[in-house]
Order: sequence, then structure tokens, then C-alpha cells
Amino acid sequence: MEAKKDNSGRITDWRSYERVLLPSIKDLHRLDVYEENGGYQALRKVLVSDDWTPAKVTDEVKASGLRGRGGAGFPTGLKWSFMPPVDPEVPRFICCNGDESEPGTFKDRQLLEYNPHSLFEGILLACYAISAGTAFLYIRGEFADWITHIEVELAKLYEKGYAGKNIMGSDFSVEIVIHKGAGAYICGEESSLMNSLEGERAYPRVKPPFPAQKGVWGYPTTINNVETLAAIPTILNKGGDWFASVGAERHPGPVLYGVSGHVNRPGVYEYPTGILITDLIYKVAGGIRNGKKLKAIVPGGSSTPILRADMIEGVRMDAESLKEAGSMMGTAGMLVMDEDTDIVGFLRRITHFYHHESCGQCTPCREGTGWLEDIVSRLERGEGHYRDLDLLTDLCTQMEGRTVCALADAAAWPVRYTVERFRDEFEARCRPSLVPAGISI
Amino acid sequence: MIELPTTSGDGHTSETFVPVFSNEELVFTTDETAQIERWKSHYPTVDGAIMRVLWLAQEKFGYLAPEVIRLSAEATGIPYAKAYGVATFYTQYFKKKKGKHVLDVCTCFTCQLCGGYDILHYLEEKLGIKSGETTSDGEFTIQQAECLGACDAAPMLQVTNGRYVMQLTPEKIDAMLDALRDGKSLEFESMTLPQDADEMGGNRRSDTQAVLETKAPPIAETIL
Repeated sequence: MEAKKDNSGRITDWRSYERVLLPSIKDLHRLDVYEENGGYQALRKVLVSDDWTPAKVTDEVKASGLRGRGGAGFPTGLKWSFMPPVDPEVPRFICCNGDESEPGTFKDRQLLEYNPHSLFEGILLACYAISAGTAFLYIRGEFADWITHIEVELAKLYEKGYAGKNIMGSDFSVEIVIHKGAGAYICGEESSLMNSLEGERAYPRVKPPFPAQKGVWGYPTTINNVETLAAIPTILNKGGDWFASVGAERHPGPVLYGVSGHVNRPGVYEYPTGILITDLIYKVAGGIRNGKKLKAIVPGGSSTPILRADMIEGVRMDAESLKEAGSMMGTAGMLVMDEDTDIVGFLRRITHFYHHESCGQCTPCREGTGWLEDIVSRLERGEGHYRDLDLLTDLCTQMEGRTVCALADAAAWPVRYTVERFRDEFEARCRPSLVPAGISI
Repeated sequence: MIELPTTSGDGHTSETFVPVFSNEELVFTTDETAQIERWKSHYPTVDGAIMRVLWLAQEKFGYLAPEVIRLSAEATGIPYAKAYGVATFYTQYFKKKKGKHVLDVCTCFTCQLCGGYDILHYLEEKLGIKSGETTSDGEFTIQQAECLGACDAAPMLQVTNGRYVMQLTPEKIDAMLDALRDGKSLEFESMTLPQDADEMGGNRRSDTQAVLETKAPPIAETIL
């Protein structure tokens, strides 16, 4: 079935969309099956043909309009072009960020399980494009089983001569190293990931210098998300133009939506960007379980602002549309909450998460996340006061943008917007602030 | 009045450090040393290998006592203080002795809404301990974990930094505890992608026996 195009020639209809990141092919995680289905053709093409220079690969990725799938949505081709000119004396690195720890996000795990070779091919192509000789694949320690799975596949890759020295008989060589994390949310932040790789405590670094200038061990480095790199072979096989014609115009391409929470069919779905949120919940994920009503959604991982049920009408899952609606695309890991959800308790657990995961380097974050948890916990117990709600907002203002990395912002946004958008529920838990004179609070 | 710690003559606290592992125990075998050397060769400096070495040491000794961290630091060739900083930064490295099986129950975000706390409380009741404690026979430790990245299978838990046990119900927990007590290993569970179920009738992997179909998660507070 040919994917339907809309009037402007774009592939936006999700019903007729054919999957490319996780296509329905049995045992695609095995190297032989992946190759039978056109795997490593893109790599062969760029290595064999003189026409495909590294700059041309980067240009193709630029033309595709691919934006990073790790949360920030930065254009991938542009990121690659930040790498300084090649100096044979200076080694260059690629880091693939598979630390996937944002609550509500579970797409990369499915890629590692079902299509790891698209990731390996993407890594090799990215190494070719930026002339990197080593790729570190950083995977969170909790994914121990999946690390074992892909280590088996990586060994096959080396055996076949698709990784290591002189790949496919060319003079292009890449070493792929799988690095196992050990449970720290902060390692998903790129500079902290680099410190973790270097055997340091995973404290984020001050930017600038940016990784392209001074990355791992001080050498030029590019860091991309697993899903971002897994999309590269498709871009080279089908062309940047094709990729750019899928989904939303300013945020194109197929994307893995992770729908979880109170829906009938939770899971990872591959569809073009820009799908209607209502379609995603009611048609794709089978609607709210037990016929309940929708209360709220968190569109892209715990740090993206929550949206009430009345705010999602006509909103699409792409960066621009969600920004207009007052939230963000994030990692496209959507949490759906039904009408019975206790929002105060939900927020308390999020604040606990950020308090637990703050690395402790910057004071506003180390102290602020603790205060957020304390105050929201007090509200949950019914012991809070109305003034606590303004105190929370004030605290958020003092955390946002005042730290080395974005964890403080990520901790503050859910609090700020949840309190703003569900203020009545928080007020219902508050005690009156009237305190008789002479009694200390 | 603030109570000060008792100090000895040299100004240090009187708490003496007693190693748990003897010097005879604290060695890596030839195979392990060869593996460590391979890891060290993967990075521009040997420091990068410390996380792998700590993992190896934890699997071998059960947890990272200070002397185990020292052994790992020496094997990697980095200062003890640096290795200690790494070991204490990450939650998956155990700094204290835990039970034989550590049950990391996810209670974060999706799991919270789908009954993660109910699962935690069920385990607490069943084993007679609180979260963070170890059973008296040393078999099980229960912990609360942050998001483990399996929200489609909520509620879920992880057994000793390894296998994921997904779509938990009280019956499934009972079976899991029995299997672990009997020394059986748990099977790797593969989640069917909903689109795979539509387009190819189920799981796409032929090398995985335990396959979980997509289904609506349970309702929190009423799961028991």
C-alpha cells in the first residue's frame, strides 16, 4: 500500500503510513535478516561511491530536516556541521546517547530490541559524515539485557567487517564501544554523559565550550540520541527530500511515540510527526481504559508541561504545535491520565524524582528540588497553605536558568505548570492561612 | 546541645574501618584481569573503564565495600578517591550489602499511576519488610526505583540490576518469588509492539519465548 499524501504532497496520514524505523519484519534484530531487507546498503553506497563525500552526507541529513529525538529537538545536520575542520592529529568522536531515563520514555529500548542494526548503521554513517574514528554507545545500566543483546550483534558486525578497521574494504575505520551506565538520570545530559564516559562523576560541564570544540577527553565530539541516529540510514536510502515530506513541515520525519498510562493499548507507535493528540489517544492507543474520561496528558516525558484535557483539541504532536499549546515535544513519550488521577500525588512523585536525580553540583538545583518535594509533599498530606502555591512558583523562578545544565528547569517546569493548570486541585488540599496572633507558624 | 563524635588523640573519629573481605579474597582472576585490560584499551585513557570494572567487581563480590572499590581502582590504574567518587555517584552500585535478590520496584510516573505503589506494598507485606530493607534470611531486598524505561509494561520491577519483570500482578509476583527462591532464572520478556500485533499477529522475535501482549494497565489502589 502506498502511503497517502495530502494536498501539499506531504505524508501526514497515519493510517496508511508504512513504518521505517520499526518495520514489521520478523527477526529484524539479526544481522542476516537486516541485510536481506536492504540493511547496510546506505553505508555501502557512501563508502563505494566517490560521489558521496562526508560533506554530502551531512548535506543530505540537513535537507531531511531531521531534528534530534532526545528531547531538545536540535537540527541534526546543523549539529554535525559544528565539528571543526578535520585535523589528522586530532581524534574525533561520536557519542550515542542511549541513557533514556526521562520518565515516560521507552522508545530507545524498543529500537535496541527490535532494530539495533539501524542504529549501528546510523552510527557508522554519522562517523563517516563527521570523520570520527570512534563511537561510544552509552546505554543506561538498567538495560542490562538489551546491552547483552546488542553486544552479540556488534560482535557479528566486527566479524563481517562492517565495523573496525577498513570497513567493507575501504579505508574507513570505526571502533564502536558500548559503555554501560549505572543508573543516573543526569547522564542523559550530554556533557554529563561525557564526564561519565571519562570515568568521572557525571557532573554536567559548563558550556561553552560545546562538545564539537571540546568533547570527550577534550576532543571534538558529536552527541546524538539513539532514535536520531537510527533514522540516518532511512534518510540516505530514501533521500532527504522523502524524509522532509513526512509529517509536520517544520519538524518532519517518522517518530516513535511512546504512549503509556491509562490507555487500552500502551506501547511504542511509529507514525509521522504532527499526529493529532486526540487521534493518538483515542484511535491509535485505543482510548482511555474502562471508558473513563481524559483528565490530562504529559506529551513528552516528565519535564514537559502538563496539558489539561480541554487544551489538547486540535493540537498536533510536533514542536511548533505543542509550543503553541503551551508545552513541548520532548521525547514524544506521552503519559495519559484518566479522570481519577490525583494530580497532587502525581506531582509529588515527579518532584521526588528530580530531587533524587539532582547531581548536587549547583545550589539552586540541589536545594530547590528538595524544597519542591517538601512543599508538594506537605500539600499532598493536606498540611499546606495557600501561600505555598505562590512559594512554589517563586521557587521555580529562582531555579530556572540558574544552573549549569537543564535539570533545574526540567524539575521546575512540571511544578510551575501543574500548579498553574490544576490550581483548584491544589487549593482544595490547602488549609486556610488564618493563624491566630501570637502563634508561631 | 550538639553531640560531638568521640575523637581519638590524632583528631580522627574513633570509628575504625574493618574490611569485610580478606586480602586472599580480594583478587581478580587471570580471565577477569584480561577482560579489564580489554576494557581499558577501549578508551583514550584507562579512566573510562572504571564503570565496567566496578560492575565486574559488584557481580563478583555482591557489593562495593571500600576495599572492593580500592581493588577496582588498582586494577584500572586510577586513584582510589576517583573510583570512590564514581562508585558513590550511581544508584546501581551497591555500597552496602544487599539481599541475594534486589527487587527494584518502579514507582515513578507511569508506574505510579498504574499501581507501582500497590506492587511495592504487596511485596512489603508478603516479605514482611519495608522498602529499603532486607529479609532476615538475606534472600530479598526491596527498593523503590526511578523510571526504568518500561512504561508500556507498567507496573514493573527489575531483579538485581538485570532482568525486567513486566506487567506485574500479585500472582506474577508470587510466582517470581518462588522461582527466585528455588534458584531458577527468570525468562527474558519481550513486549509486543501494538503495531506488530496488528500487522504481523504478534511478537516479531523468534528467539524469545516469553512474550507479553499489549494490554490496558491495571488501576492503581484497586489492583490487590
